[in-house]
Amino acid sequence: MNTTVPSNNSPMIQLKGVRKSYGLYEVLKGIDAEVARGEVVVICGPSGSGKSTLIRTVNRLEEIGSGSIVCDGNNIHQPMPARELNLLRSRIGFVFQSFNLFPHLSAIDNIAISPIRVKGVPREAAYAKATQLLERVGLADKAHAYPGQLSGGQQQRVAIARALAMEPPVMLFDEPTSALDPEMVGEVLAVMKGLAADGMTMMCVTHEMGFARDVADRVWFIDQGQIIESAPPDEFFSRPQTTRAQRFLSDLRH
Amino acid sequence: MISDIVAIIRDYWLLLLIGQYPNGPLGGLAATLMLSVLAIAFAFPVSIALALARLSKSPFLNWPVTALVYFTRGVPLLMLILWGYFLVPLVTGANVPAFLTMLVTLVVYQGAFLSEVVRGGIVALGHGQMEAARALGHSYLGAMRYVILPQALYNVIPSIISVFVATIKDTTLGYVINVPDLTFAASQINNQLLTQPFQVFFILAAVYYVICWSLSRVAVLTERRITRRRAGTAPQPTAKSLKLAALTDQPS
Amino acid sequence: MTSFDLSEILGNPEYVSMLVLGIEMTFIVAIGSWLLAMTLALLLLGLRYAPGPAGNAFVTAYVSYHRNVPTLVQLMLWYFGIFTLMPEGLTFWLNDHNAEATFAVIGLGLCQAAYFSEDLRSGMRAVSPGQMEAARALGHGYVSAMRYVMLPQGVRNALPALINHSVSLFKNSSLAVAIGVAELTYAVKEIENLSFRTFESYLLVTVLYLVFSLMIMAGGAYIARKADPMRSGRA
Repeated sequence: MNTTVPSNNSPMIQLKGVRKSYGLYEVLKGIDAEVARGEVVVICGPSGSGKSTLIRTVNRLEEIGSGSIVCDGNNIHQPMPARELNLLRSRIGFVFQSFNLFPHLSAIDNIAISPIRVKGVPREAAYAKATQLLERVGLADKAHAYPGQLSGGQQQRVAIARALAMEPPVMLFDEPTSALDPEMVGEVLAVMKGLAADGMTMMCVTHEMGFARDVADRVWFIDQGQIIESAPPDEFFSRPQTTRAQRFLSDLRH
Repeated sequence: MISDIVAIIRDYWLLLLIGQYPNGPLGGLAATLMLSVLAIAFAFPVSIALALARLSKSPFLNWPVTALVYFTRGVPLLMLILWGYFLVPLVTGANVPAFLTMLVTLVVYQGAFLSEVVRGGIVALGHGQMEAARALGHSYLGAMRYVILPQALYNVIPSIISVFVATIKDTTLGYVINVPDLTFAASQINNQLLTQPFQVFFILAAVYYVICWSLSRVAVLTERRITRRRAGTAPQPTAKSLKLAALTDQPS
Repeated sequence: MTSFDLSEILGNPEYVSMLVLGIEMTFIVAIGSWLLAMTLALLLLGLRYAPGPAGNAFVTAYVSYHRNVPTLVQLMLWYFGIFTLMPEGLTFWLNDHNAEATFAVIGLGLCQAAYFSEDLRSGMRAVSPGQMEAARALGHGYVSAMRYVMLPQGVRNALPALINHSVSLFKNSSLAVAIGVAELTYAVKEIENLSFRTFESYLLVTVLYLVFSLMIMAGGAYIARKADPMRSGRA
């Protein structure tokens, strides 16, 4: 487990009474939680428990019914001009299960286009930064490859670099390895471990319990739209408090 | 029979090519091609605007465009041309050449068709691209401009060429309001000769065939190129893509 | 300009009967050419799958001609051209039996057959090849596999395209006016000439076309929904 020193006492992400429904079906039934600066939180739970919905509300890819989400001091779900929301979003890195690289752009263009078009970073600076990020995810030689020419693991690493290019203080991962062939999971997790070691605040929905054990500071267990356990991984894996968590963990082992 | 055809071409090639020009308006094949190129050139930006309006959540943008699309899909082009012939002079208040009336009608008609093609291209990309762009902080229009449209428009280039071919074929309907195009020239020749209608209309069909066939080939080759560039991820045709294809590939 | 008044047309029995006759003829041409087109399309599809290269080459040429020559020009070639080359007896007979409408049906039907046959072919190609393999592995012969496994799926895939093209066939029946068939577009021009009520007569006929087209679309969508195994629950 890595220990981090919070640079600031206020939490990076603060969820208060977050509720959300699809029609009559309530997906999130009042979530109250915090992610400290530099903390790595892994969210796990059975499918349909609302964990993907939860992480998508943090950068407002999903709207919420009630409650509030504050990220890095900004109230994400308050009414605001579109331009302001765009700026907030650019400060929250998001990595998708299905990568969602832009297939018409090469790897390096994928990384550079948003700093240039959203933040107005000068071209040379954006490409220098992109090159640096590609090195960091171990894909310097693939700068000019198109997404269609990359393996799933490589695409996801480019997607992580793309999110990092906006220099966000926090990164959200929505099942980043679920769409990958097993032999490619490791390379993506390695990049994520590196990020955690550098002190990045991370919120990560994943089924990779090994990653949770090694990297997470805390594990949130979600079931039926509520966080029913929140504990350091050692505690969560060895002494789950609820029967639902116990069943979930025993199902994973079998 | 063949010697008749050769003789007609020898005697009337200039009329078929440019109509009465310079003693009258530009006509014949030149007018047909000019009409088609101008129609598609104006219809293209119109179609992007219509597609974006149709995808918009605002009912004020979405509703009228949806109505327009269904209108053009449900009413024969011939009726629209008659409307144009009646309405365009009312709007402009002047004696409008048939060429211009036809151009306006074609821009509206093909603009609406093309907007469905563009919209189909955008929808086919799926939510992921828009979400990823928005998550990176792009505005809606920024995401459209830099992420969605470059892909969608590139993917639908073959369909755009198909719409162009359809436009060339549609220009023949200008005949009913006396647009001096290739078909008009051929019927003039037929009226002069009187005795060789088969030969005249055979030539007419052959000229259209050569032009439209060549362009259709370009569309097919472009499609293959695009599929190859997608690095072997060419999807199988789905019921949805077939529906889209049927929309652009209309008899006319 | 006189004020808008639909009753000028709808209140006049002469105009109404012209409209009704026009609608009737539009339907005769549209339905006649649809039936001809569908029959030919199935034959063309069969030829595509026939052994040997000749059938395929013929269908390719057939489709190429009918798709790359404007429908109006095809109609003109039939009515003004081929008609005059026919033997005299046949010409007389046709003249007695509404030659214009007959050629409209032939011209539109032959043209539309090219589109229908291509729709069916694409629909067949969208069926996964694994389906054929699975059917063969279960002991179906080629014809049996085609009949019970491939064709039902292929036609279902082709339905949306077939419906779209049926709508365009209906719209294209208006082209018959160019060879003098007294259908709906012909009727509107007549009524306009007699009544000087351009706006009203155009509006009326436009609405009629629109309603019929939307009915075809809606009917087609209903059939497509019925045929979709995912929705009707018989997976």
